[in-house]
Amino acid sequence: MAVALWSLRRIGAALLTLVVVSVLIFTSVRLMPGDYIDLVLGPLATEAQRAQAVAESGLDDPVVTQYFHWLFGVLTGDLGYSFVSNVSVSEEFAARLPVTATIALLTIIVTLLVGIPLGFLAALRSEGSAGAVGRIVSALGISIPEFLLAGVVVFLVSTLGLGVSVGRFAPFAVDPARFFGSLVLPVTVLAVGCVAVVARNTRDAVMNVLVEPHVQAAVARGETPWFIVRHHVLRNAAAPILTIVGALVAVLLGGTVIVEFVFNIPGMGSYLQTALGRRDYAIVQSAVLLAAIVFIVASLLVDLIANALDPRLRLTGGSRR
Amino acid sequence: MHTAARAGVAFTAVAVLALTGCAAGASPDTEPTQDEVAPGFLAVSDDAFDSGGDLIVQVDYDTAEASGLDPQGAATARSWMLEGLSYETLTTIDENLDVAPSLATSWETPSDTEYVFTLADDAVFSNGRAMTAADVVGSLQRLLDTPTTWTGQLGPIASIEATGDLEVTVTLSEPYAPFLAALANTPAAVLPMAEIESGEIDITTEMVGTGPLVATAHRQDEEWTFEPNEHHPDAASLGFSSLTIDIVGDEATRAAALRDGSADFAVLNSIDSAELLANAKDVTVVGQRNTDFHYLMINSLTGDEALQDQDVRFAINSAIDRDAINELAFGGSTSATGVTPAGLPDACVAEDLPSAARDVAAAKAVIDEIGGLELDLVVYTDEPVLAQIAQVMQQNLAEIGVTVEIQQVDYATYSAAVYGSPADFDLALSWFAGYADPAMVTTWWNPEVAGFSAVFMKGSDELDGLIADGYATAPGADRAAVFEKLCAVADEQSEMVPLVLRPSTIGWNTASLSPTLSSDEGYGNFLRYITQFRAS
Repeated sequence: MAVALWSLRRIGAALLTLVVVSVLIFTSVRLMPGDYIDLVLGPLATEAQRAQAVAESGLDDPVVTQYFHWLFGVLTGDLGYSFVSNVSVSEEFAARLPVTATIALLTIIVTLLVGIPLGFLAALRSEGSAGAVGRIVSALGISIPEFLLAGVVVFLVSTLGLGVSVGRFAPFAVDPARFFGSLVLPVTVLAVGCVAVVARNTRDAVMNVLVEPHVQAAVARGETPWFIVRHHVLRNAAAPILTIVGALVAVLLGGTVIVEFVFNIPGMGSYLQTALGRRDYAIVQSAVLLAAIVFIVASLLVDLIANALDPRLRLTGGSRR
Repeated sequence: MHTAARAGVAFTAVAVLALTGCAAGASPDTEPTQDEVAPGFLAVSDDAFDSGGDLIVQVDYDTAEASGLDPQGAATARSWMLEGLSYETLTTIDENLDVAPSLATSWETPSDTEYVFTLADDAVFSNGRAMTAADVVGSLQRLLDTPTTWTGQLGPIASIEATGDLEVTVTLSEPYAPFLAALANTPAAVLPMAEIESGEIDITTEMVGTGPLVATAHRQDEEWTFEPNEHHPDAASLGFSSLTIDIVGDEATRAAALRDGSADFAVLNSIDSAELLANAKDVTVVGQRNTDFHYLMINSLTGDEALQDQDVRFAINSAIDRDAINELAFGGSTSATGVTPAGLPDACVAEDLPSAARDVAAAKAVIDEIGGLELDLVVYTDEPVLAQIAQVMQQNLAEIGVTVEIQQVDYATYSAAVYGSPADFDLALSWFAGYADPAMVTTWWNPEVAGFSAVFMKGSDELDGLIADGYATAPGADRAAVFEKLCAVADEQSEMVPLVLRPSTIGWNTASLSPTLSSDEGYGNFLRYITQFRAS
């Protein structure tokens, strides 16, 4: 019962956050200087052309009316139309969302497969030069910005002729091999930072568990390191690792904007950037709302799973004592 | 442990060697070549080159007009170029920027207000219907009845009539020299009017023209696919099987695509790309001259109060070193211009402008008299060269006691600040399309006609009169004299100050493409000679 109540409270808070976020998104987009009409018609347009375009796009309604119109549309599954392409937002997203989701998913898989073992290795062999090298490499991975790494990768790959082309994306339905081939470099670039973050946090989490009394007792009992890891460390270190993986979802949303732009991948990131530049309101509002939903849902799932793994979090409101 | 350390050091060493090794080969002085392989051409396709391949072109941005794909609403050079692949116009321009026949195979001018066009008898729309005189009349009339940005460029048209099966007569209410040049750009394209009027074709979503190519797929901001228009006279001799135009926003990615062969042809924008590609195998980078030009706006209405004084504005104007802008931002590949784009017939000579004497001491005295000046200079980030020009100007103006703060913003923010009412800037940089006739761009110096400039400039009756004279005077010495005076007056008033021509940097892969590219271009159409391209 307590779990159900806690979960309901957590879900309610998430929904409230979404409502607040929707207001913030709408007002932020509308407060940006410049608008679509001026951009797309250009400075040479007449007042009559401008007035006609404003009326056709519904931008002559009061902002509050526009907000509720948009919100009602979102709740009924109608996200509106792109000013630029005149195609529905849902259709535009349907073409791009799977690409970004694939990049994010592959990046998370690579991150988990590489980052967690690396973190464990670093924790278990924290003494000596291996630990030092691990910390340096991890710090480098965390601190190199994606745009810089992506630029270097583009330059090196195109210059050294490694047999990998930059920017020749093909949809999965058209050419699956080229689809996945074009995602190798962006996923690699994104994974570098993510692996470093997860490895560093896994290392810290495991080391924190390793010094706890029950683990020390197990060591004193002569249990093997692998047995200790499986029975005492994995479960206790899982919550902080899960939390950081959840946070990485937000990092990935930002990171895909850059790698999709640099590697010419037609996903949500590069599309959002273009739409933002054009003040294509329906696209920007819906894309940012979607990002917020993904982040909030990911955080919610992480909290729910972490609580299932470690009931102490529920009792302490989320913090470990 | 030691192995891990060694691996790290080795990786770093390889990365450093790769980067430095590649960079070392490039000459720091490499600039896009402007050498001609034939008079008027930077490249001429080789008939012996393999053909029949898919031609892949990468450009930096897509079309985005409120009117969709309707060519009459096309307002940017990129839209003119892309839509120009499917549409043709009555006239065109040749490699010397002279007006040449296109859908009109010839024309006569019985008087200076009458144009009688003879139409091609083999022009067929991509839907298979032959073009008629009614299509020509209907298209031009539509442009007049539903005004767009281009309508004003057509001039004072009194009537458009079909005077034969393949003959159309246009009568002007008064002489208008740029008329034929205005007909040469995509917004004046001939449309399938019967199908548009019957509702059979929605011209805002589907391109049906007499041009050499048909758009078969388009994903906004991603990609275009064109196939040959089987009804076009050049269809059988096209040197490629299909054309893919990728929209690739990042300049380095376009350069990389040229380097690794995944693109045949790319627009590069920055002359720095020529340096980065200097040692790339099978890549040629050229600089195509354009009639487009960069200019400085000095807000004399709502900017710093001191800018209302013409002497102060002229001091700023005369402190700007066009040669330094040319050298530092364009590697010496362009030239200074007045209001009429340098290089076009009858255009004024930039070196003869009042500000060209560049009397820094006199300019400084004017600024000293008002106790110095602090101004903001707004540029937009989409066009990186604007920031480079701004930096040169910042140094120039510091010499006369004007402190300039450069503000780099996205285009939407820029647009709101510069064209909003009231305009919120002191100085701003931008560029104008220069078109193919020197009179066409002069209108923008008349705020009442231009509209957009009314929020930051006053203009003058004298300047307006000279602009009108320029339109009405036939090409030749008389018109050159008008333009000389017009440029000088605009230079003295210093509200919109022309700086230098705006060249294009273009690259292609010589292993997969043999293109034809003119040395000069008036409407930003770097694919003007695409029917001659050969791609393997």
